[in-house]
Amino acid sequence: MIKNKNLLSLLIVIVFGFVLFFVGTDGFRAYTAETARTLKLTEEMPEFPNVTLEDSKERVYSFSEFEGKYVMLTFIYTACTDVCPELEMNLAQVYNQVPEKYIGEDIIFLSISFDPERDDAATLEKYRFFFNADGDTWRMARIGDQEELNELLEAFGVIVIPDDNGNFTHNSAFYLVNPQGKLQEVMDYQEIDEAARKVNRILEKEVGDQS
Amino acid sequence: MKQAIYGLVLYIFLMLPPVITVTESIMVVHMHMQMPLLVLVGMLFTPYLKQIFPGFFNKWNDNGIPGIVLFIIVICYWMMLPRTMDEALTVPAVEVFKFISLPFLAGIPLRDSWKKLNSFGKNTVFVSLTILCGVMAWVYIAAPNQLCNNYIVIEQKALGWTFLITGLCILIYFIQSLFVDESLYEEEPSTENS
Repeated sequence: MIKNKNLLSLLIVIVFGFVLFFVGTDGFRAYTAETARTLKLTEEMPEFPNVTLEDSKERVYSFSEFEGKYVMLTFIYTACTDVCPELEMNLAQVYNQVPEKYIGEDIIFLSISFDPERDDAATLEKYRFFFNADGDTWRMARIGDQEELNELLEAFGVIVIPDDNGNFTHNSAFYLVNPQGKLQEVMDYQEIDEAARKVNRILEKEVGDQS
Repeated sequence: MKQAIYGLVLYIFLMLPPVITVTESIMVVHMHMQMPLLVLVGMLFTPYLKQIFPGFFNKWNDNGIPGIVLFIIVICYWMMLPRTMDEALTVPAVEVFKFISLPFLAGIPLRDSWKKLNSFGKNTVFVSLTILCGVMAWVYIAAPNQLCNNYIVIEQKALGWTFLITGLCILIYFIQSLFVDESLYEEEPSTENS
């Protein structure tokens, strides 16, 4: 005799579905790969690899130059016509919202180009000028060594897809690296005020701890 | 048996690395060709599996409802979560899960359940699928930013429009099924043999 187990199997199916969606969305927190990526990054706090930067003032130094300071990062390429200008304009607004006493002392702003071939010092210098960055407390730099660049993009989960016209499709965010060189926050670049508030809160806490 | 062999051939074909590369490089093909074909693979396996394990299907899916719910859940998982498509490309375990879940947890339960469902059950499935396609069409066409990191926005919009077309096709089929009695046009196999 076969006894029907419709109800039991329906229950199993529903539980399976719940578990599937729960695991698949990190506990109903991340529905797109991008939110999953930022969630994972802030949980894992990957270290910024020690790459060599070449900035718009033709200075060459390694990332450890910024040790002991927070670094607010964006990834860009100067030939970009859509997202990057918006990203940099928003970064400029965050820059302006951070109290002057912290700028340069406790926090450095840095825009890293992932197009080292075209973004030489002169191009970056021009770009810097557009956004009123001073080149010292807000620097624009490229990473000349493609291998180092790839290592960084991989560690921070930046996906860059080149197209046939010399443009790139890429995901964008504000990244905050802490004084120990670890990625602490990934912030939505369209929420300027929220990002500025978050950065200021972190800086206040840090400076408060030191005094 | 013959169907199961066709299914197996199709399954192996879809698993070939160059075929995977081509089908997954275009968003629309990934969602609306590779995935439905994997469901089809499961449907082709069904009669053979029912022959081997008749008790299992009768015992656990007697009225067809657990099966169709499982089908809907698995389809929703792949259709509604944009990250599943990204992760199929970047996380090998998710890719393997796709090749297992779509035939075995969607295709097989769908074919097994469909004959067992009454017309109300079938209509519910048609209506839910239409709504689902409509919602996904709206999401993919209206979303201003990239939902999948591995596909660009223009591909995303194309996917939205194909969702709309798929939804319309299901809707048209559903509406005609309300007015046309198919049994009038089908020959009874039993009379044919006698």
